[in-house]
Amino acid sequence: MKNYDINVLKDAAKRLLFDMSDSEYETLLKEFDVITKQMEIIGSDKSLDSLEPMVFPFECTTSYLREDEPEEPLNREVALRNSKRKIGGQIKLPKVVQ
Amino acid sequence: MYEGKSILELHELLVSKKVTPVDLVKDAIELAKKDSNNAFEYIMENEALAFASELGEPEVDNPLWGIPFVVKDNFSTKDVPTTGSSNILNGYIPVYDAAVVEKLRAKKAVAIAKTTLDELAMGGTGLSGHLGMTYNPYDRSHTRLVGGSSCGSAAATAAGIVPFALGSDTGDSVRKPASLAGLVGFKPTWSRISRYGLFPFAPSLDTVAYFARNVMDIAIVTEALAGRDDRDSTSSTKPVEKYAENVKIACKTPRIAVIKEVVDTISDKDVLDAFNKTISGLKSKGFVVNEVSMPVEVLQSLLPTYFVISCAEATSNNANLDGIKFGPLSNGETYEEVMANARTKGFSELIKRRFVIGSFALMKENKNDLFIRAQKNRRRIVDLINNILKENDFIYLPAAPSIAPKATDGADKLSDEYLIADNHLCMGNFAGLPSITLPIGFKEGMPFGANLMGRAFEESNLFQAAYALEQVTGLANVYAKGEEK
Repeated sequence: MKNYDINVLKDAAKRLLFDMSDSEYETLLKEFDVITKQMEIIGSDKSLDSLEPMVFPFECTTSYLREDEPEEPLNREVALRNSKRKIGGQIKLPKVVQ
Repeated sequence: MYEGKSILELHELLVSKKVTPVDLVKDAIELAKKDSNNAFEYIMENEALAFASELGEPEVDNPLWGIPFVVKDNFSTKDVPTTGSSNILNGYIPVYDAAVVEKLRAKKAVAIAKTTLDELAMGGTGLSGHLGMTYNPYDRSHTRLVGGSSCGSAAATAAGIVPFALGSDTGDSVRKPASLAGLVGFKPTWSRISRYGLFPFAPSLDTVAYFARNVMDIAIVTEALAGRDDRDSTSSTKPVEKYAENVKIACKTPRIAVIKEVVDTISDKDVLDAFNKTISGLKSKGFVVNEVSMPVEVLQSLLPTYFVISCAEATSNNANLDGIKFGPLSNGETYEEVMANARTKGFSELIKRRFVIGSFALMKENKNDLFIRAQKNRRRIVDLINNILKENDFIYLPAAPSIAPKATDGADKLSDEYLIADNHLCMGNFAGLPSITLPIGFKEGMPFGANLMGRAFEESNLFQAAYALEQVTGLANVYAKGEEK
């Protein structure tokens, strides 16, 4: 496992597209100490090596063909309702292309 | 006037025309407005009264007709603000209803409010929502937790404002608050109820879940909500049983397992005494109670396994909260800056820390050691649980080690009491099993509960056992009557 320090955590936050205050990184470092100790319980157990990872609690696959029925899509007014900035029936974004 | 009444009690009043849906809604909204527990994000006064006034004649065979309820604010509600108790979704108004909201509307139950939660359902305290702490209605000093993440739904039901409330449960987010607030809290089998319109936290663990004040009401709501929904590809096609009709039938397979190593970590004598008393009561009703074992190191690994899996899943599931697809649009020179500004301002520090933990677990260098390791351990845990349930029909344990803690109490996060007794309910989410918490006692005026977990899709059996337990404790329909309103 990669060693962690404040720079690793800042890098992770940057990849997630947000920033935190320095005091929060300190809190996070302390949380990592606890989680690492807790994870050691799992890490040291060799009997886990041969097990398949469990992604879902049980198989629940469904396959079906939907009926080919026409549906009413959202109208433009409703679709744009949550946008605070709109122009000409479209959402206006800040210009980010230089 | 109608506070604290159950679904069936209100139904009787409605069909005998002693009360109308509008009367019930007005009464519930009045109570909600006077709520001092910070249970509500939004009170749907106009919407609820309009809906209630159009319900027409009472439907004798539909116990949910005209019954007020509340909705955790991580379910989409058409034309009603839905924030997930996160600033990043302030002002968001969905254009559709969640499947469960739609189903309850079709049953003509009346949603009267959206309730607070730990931000985006990621927490177990009721402290981290953007409106601040939600209080436990049993504690008028407002110092004790009601638990989370479904804190507002728990508080509204425990205060007697509504007979039932929608929540969601990823680790114990309904069943733990149920213990701390003297409620019946139920999570069904994973895939039994459609999650369409529920904000995803960790989809391999998430279930719709709910609170009521007795087992029969839980069975009524389950019957209304269960069933296949093509909009949720994980929802099961298994037929829905007549849960309510079956509740009072004597449980035909009454073998209960008590995991010794979980009970051994509890130090509160009053909780242990009450729990043992319920075991004696169940035995006198014909239940066979077997003490079983699970390795302590496996039980100690429950919480870290949950933490890694849930944080990792949450990190990717909440990537759409970026200020462009959802959330307030911010300025910036690049699209990354636009998103980063929205996310930095929109998320609380606690949520950001959870996301960093999830991201760290998914990093290429760590994935095998953390995320995959946790998924492998999940399989070991589930195999052990299912083995117990081969010889037994239910697993029965105290739902929490104590009454509701104070917000200022700190737990030793490496102690067995914290790792095991306080956090074992996530076993039900790992295995996708139905699981129900009921009140079993009071200490210092505060309730505490116990939990029964059954086999997948055997909700009817579980409700029968839970109903038997309710008869043993005599604690159906309790609520916090001392609340100032």
